[in-house]
Amino acid sequence: MFEIEFGDEGIVVVDGRLDAAQAVKAQIFLDQVEGQCVLDLTKLEYISSAGLGVLLKTHKRLMGSGSGVKLINVNHHIHDIFRYSGFDKLFEIVAASDR
Amino acid sequence: MKQKFKRSFDELRNIVTMTEAFFREAGLQPGLRHVVDLATEELFVNMVTYNTESDEDILIEMRPHEHGVEVSLTDYKVNRFDPTTAGSVNVDAPLDERTPGGLGLYLVLKMVDSIHYEYRNRQSKITFIVDRK
Repeated sequence: MFEIEFGDEGIVVVDGRLDAAQAVKAQIFLDQVEGQCVLDLTKLEYISSAGLGVLLKTHKRLMGSGSGVKLINVNHHIHDIFRYSGFDKLFEIVAASDR
Repeated sequence: MKQKFKRSFDELRNIVTMTEAFFREAGLQPGLRHVVDLATEELFVNMVTYNTESDEDILIEMRPHEHGVEVSLTDYKVNRFDPTTAGSVNVDAPLDERTPGGLGLYLVLKMVDSIHYEYRNRQSKITFIVDRK
């Protein structure tokens, strides 16, 4: 199961497992986003390299216009993946416990 | 526990179902699941994406290991490709130099405790172990 939609104040809320089977769905949604994109990962249970690719592509596109992707409410399992991937150096990340 | 899967990303949900059942039956700690799920998906997706010469199902086997779990994926009628020799990824590169390519196998090699590749009779078998931390 994977869902992605706009929540309050234009924050993008993702829910479930962002794997290779769901990456296209996520990319299609995020391709519509313009300006600063805040992704709430509270309910993101799992992400693989396919999902990381979606985040990277979206971040690069938005950085090209002076904004980017901010990741909030990141749990420690997902944060481990970001850290191993070097994404913690590319994205602004707010851990779940930091808010 | 073992099960064969069609060469489709749609099978990922069924692989997760298998993994859940295996963890439940083996009484393994859920904390190992993230790494097992990630490594299994990345290796399965790599086989589906690059071993296009085969239309055989892919066999996944899971068994308890002394301190964790051992998982094997076997692909039939394929050419040799050893994922353990996959090139490194510069995770310190700046954003404009980053691409998603190669990240999946890089993560597998970083996160599992051991990994072993065998190739025999056009069968490609990769086995990894995730241990209790």
